[in-house]
Amino acid sequence: MPRLTARSLALLPLAFLAVLLAAPVLRLLAEGFGAGDLAGGVVPGEPLRWLALWQDDYLRWRVVWSFLQAAITCVLALLLGLPVAWVLARREFATRALVLRLLMLPFVVPTLVAALGVLALWGPRGWLGAPLAEAGFSLEETPWLLLYGNLFFNLCLVVRAGVDALEQVSAPRVAAARTLGATPWRAFWRVEWPAIAPWLASALCLVFLYCFSGFGLALILGGQRYATVEVEIYTLVAYELALGPAGVLALWMLGLTGSVALGYAWLEKRLAAPGRVTPMARTRPRGAAQWLAVWAAVAVLLLVCAAPLIAILGQAARAFWQGQGAAVLGEPETLAALWNTLRFTAMALLLATGLGLSHALAVRAFDSAGSARGSGVADGAWALLWRAAAYLPFVVSPVTVAFGLLLLYPGWTASLALLIGAYALLAYPFVAKSLMAALDNLPASYAQAAATLGARPWRVLWRVTLPLVGKALRRGMAFAAATALGEFAVTLFLSRPEWTTLTTLIYQRLGRPGGANLDAALVLACVLMALALLAFTLIEGPGDDADPATKVRSM
Amino acid sequence: MQRRFLLSALLSCALIGTAALAQTPTPTPLRVISHNSFDLPKELLARFEQQHRVKLQIVKAGDAGEMVNKLILTRAQPIADVAFGIDNTLLPRAQTAGVIEAYTGPAAQRAAAVSLGGGMVPVDYGYVNLNIDKAWFAKNNLALPTSLADLAKPAYAKLLVVPNPATSSPGQAFLLATIAGLGEAAAFDWWAQMRSNGVKVVKGWSEAYYTEFSRNGGTRPIVVSYTSSPAAEVFYSKEKISEPPTANLFLKGGVFRQVEGVALVKGGNPAAREAAGHFIEFLRSAPVQQALQTTMWVFPAEAGAPRVAVMQQHAVEPALFDELPQALTEQQARAWVQRWTRTVLK
Repeated sequence: MPRLTARSLALLPLAFLAVLLAAPVLRLLAEGFGAGDLAGGVVPGEPLRWLALWQDDYLRWRVVWSFLQAAITCVLALLLGLPVAWVLARREFATRALVLRLLMLPFVVPTLVAALGVLALWGPRGWLGAPLAEAGFSLEETPWLLLYGNLFFNLCLVVRAGVDALEQVSAPRVAAARTLGATPWRAFWRVEWPAIAPWLASALCLVFLYCFSGFGLALILGGQRYATVEVEIYTLVAYELALGPAGVLALWMLGLTGSVALGYAWLEKRLAAPGRVTPMARTRPRGAAQWLAVWAAVAVLLLVCAAPLIAILGQAARAFWQGQGAAVLGEPETLAALWNTLRFTAMALLLATGLGLSHALAVRAFDSAGSARGSGVADGAWALLWRAAAYLPFVVSPVTVAFGLLLLYPGWTASLALLIGAYALLAYPFVAKSLMAALDNLPASYAQAAATLGARPWRVLWRVTLPLVGKALRRGMAFAAATALGEFAVTLFLSRPEWTTLTTLIYQRLGRPGGANLDAALVLACVLMALALLAFTLIEGPGDDADPATKVRSM
Repeated sequence: MQRRFLLSALLSCALIGTAALAQTPTPTPLRVISHNSFDLPKELLARFEQQHRVKLQIVKAGDAGEMVNKLILTRAQPIADVAFGIDNTLLPRAQTAGVIEAYTGPAAQRAAAVSLGGGMVPVDYGYVNLNIDKAWFAKNNLALPTSLADLAKPAYAKLLVVPNPATSSPGQAFLLATIAGLGEAAAFDWWAQMRSNGVKVVKGWSEAYYTEFSRNGGTRPIVVSYTSSPAAEVFYSKEKISEPPTANLFLKGGVFRQVEGVALVKGGNPAAREAAGHFIEFLRSAPVQQALQTTMWVFPAEAGAPRVAVMQQHAVEPALFDELPQALTEQQARAWVQRWTRTVLK
């Protein structure tokens, strides 16, 4: 019976993934591998070289570099993010909730605008870059700016996951360890770390996938020398229409990233430790050392995540007061774009939430079906695959999806449904991922107790499970909204002028020369940030203290 | 309380969603595919729709090269009836793949300032060339380069930024200009020299102009852009300036003329064929030929079409530009871009 539920729950996301992701990619691969002469003589039928990736120095460097920079970013994000997360989770200070929310802004800023911000800071003529350049350190054409760009975008993933995880650590256990004489350091390693590891692994996996198939900011900041394989695939598909070679590359990348996702899913399942949790209370910092820690954490965030945004804000303010930036706010085009951004985000968020919920609940149902039977090898494998499937939208090369969709559903290419579907496709893994981690930590006994008392499955879900994972759901939704508000989806698909969103409008402005265009783009970027902040506040509620999970716990 | 919040949030999302989805569809629209830079005043487009009782469905499909590839990929079931923005560098690809159909209406017969061929109707044209940051050159007291060879000298090291020809149409146009102006062998030698002299390559025009060009906070005072860019700088200036802060640099081997046109898409909806013809005529009509000068920053193709003031003053057409001896073939274009990648990036 639970098995059936798992299957029916999985049906919706499965159908969605099949229609919008798997089928288009397979169609494109078939086109590329089947007819070498696809474009009527445009692309000569070259024999496919399956090992080309490893034989060509240039391509090999691309793969190695993609891998290296993603790995280095993960290590840096962990080293910087974990202490920051610890401080944010354990210490209470006035702007804590705001800091957590502001942290997500890099996600929504269009890449080119973010690059403007980073360069205003670190560029050869930037506030910090110019003195460095004078001292003889030029960051241009080095990987440092690229790594910085990666951290700028991804640090928030690790910090937010870390904060959530640390709030799941059982206070009595830490207290017990301390009573038994463990130093805070030892208590962290032996009690807190094992409890938060799965959450961090989940976030780092995402960071790795983002950086590995990285496209936007890293490319602008790192220059062509540090381009990733994804850029190569993009060029082959979009500009050369060499679908065969692109397909070969895309499959290799899918293999590499897919194994990361699978490895992560396995790790997450193994590390999951459900248990009733009394979270540790946050304390106000006491003494110089604790205040120093808080200040250090804020300083790290300021330097890595906030500084480029502040640079954008500064330039936008100048554009607004001195330049022609103010005029853009009143234009009907801007208002239309604002409305589009709002409604597309709302629609995509709704769809993504539904998909993410059913995906995560199906994972749980698969898991419990597996453990209930005891046998579980086959069930376990399915559960694992399904867990990893939530990452599919991140591991499949987006340009192959975009062109595959075009090939498979030509009649639908300019339809709003497909656009919203694409937005949701890229947004829903956040909801699924966040919920999966929360559900893993939720003991099955609650739902079982409710069921024993006569509650129907829907009622159990609505009254017991959802309230308990509500915070994780909202966090996932906030990230999903950020994805929809940002540019991840829009740049790849066909767009229509009447669907112009704020992000597309910013890119239109930056597609023309002239100071007024730059001014308008900067002001619009600030509007987008304000909108995102509002959306996060609405989705996540006024603050952590009004969290349903906390209330349940404190009952 | 919190659950109610969540519920109401979801409900309001649902309401917004259904309200947006409930928009009524319109019968047999004219599907126009174009590159992302397509931009005409809304009033003009609305007037066209009223006049010919047709609903325009404009689809922007990325960069011009991407747009052509999307047309090629979907030619079994075309996603558009008319295509705007195929230029002389992309025409061979579109022709070889057989995605366009000749249009022979009045606009195709009328005299034009430029020709395109292949059954396409030219709509506008422009020049890709180098732009310089005047203030930078004045401040650094450096003479302007007078030839491409100058740019490869140590004095001009690390001054030029170009968009990648593999991912940008002005980038490709500039590569073709160097080949046309210097000859293939000499052009690739020059690119090899430029590589050691620190030429910077970025993905597209926007990145080049807004992150690397010294006028906008970068370090490179020479950028691959358009002849019309200085005029646009005046048009979009903060306080109404009369002199552009940038200037065109017309060097032998560094000026390429892009002619953009409109064409019928082969296999497009027959019911929309008449409207498609109207649209092609509309693009060559006087109001559009005037408007596109300051929306897309190009020169009008209609013979004798008047220039707007800002273009007249600040966008003087180059006396000479580089033309390839033979018509470009698709194979050739692709091979050159690959050779360029090997020479400059690998």
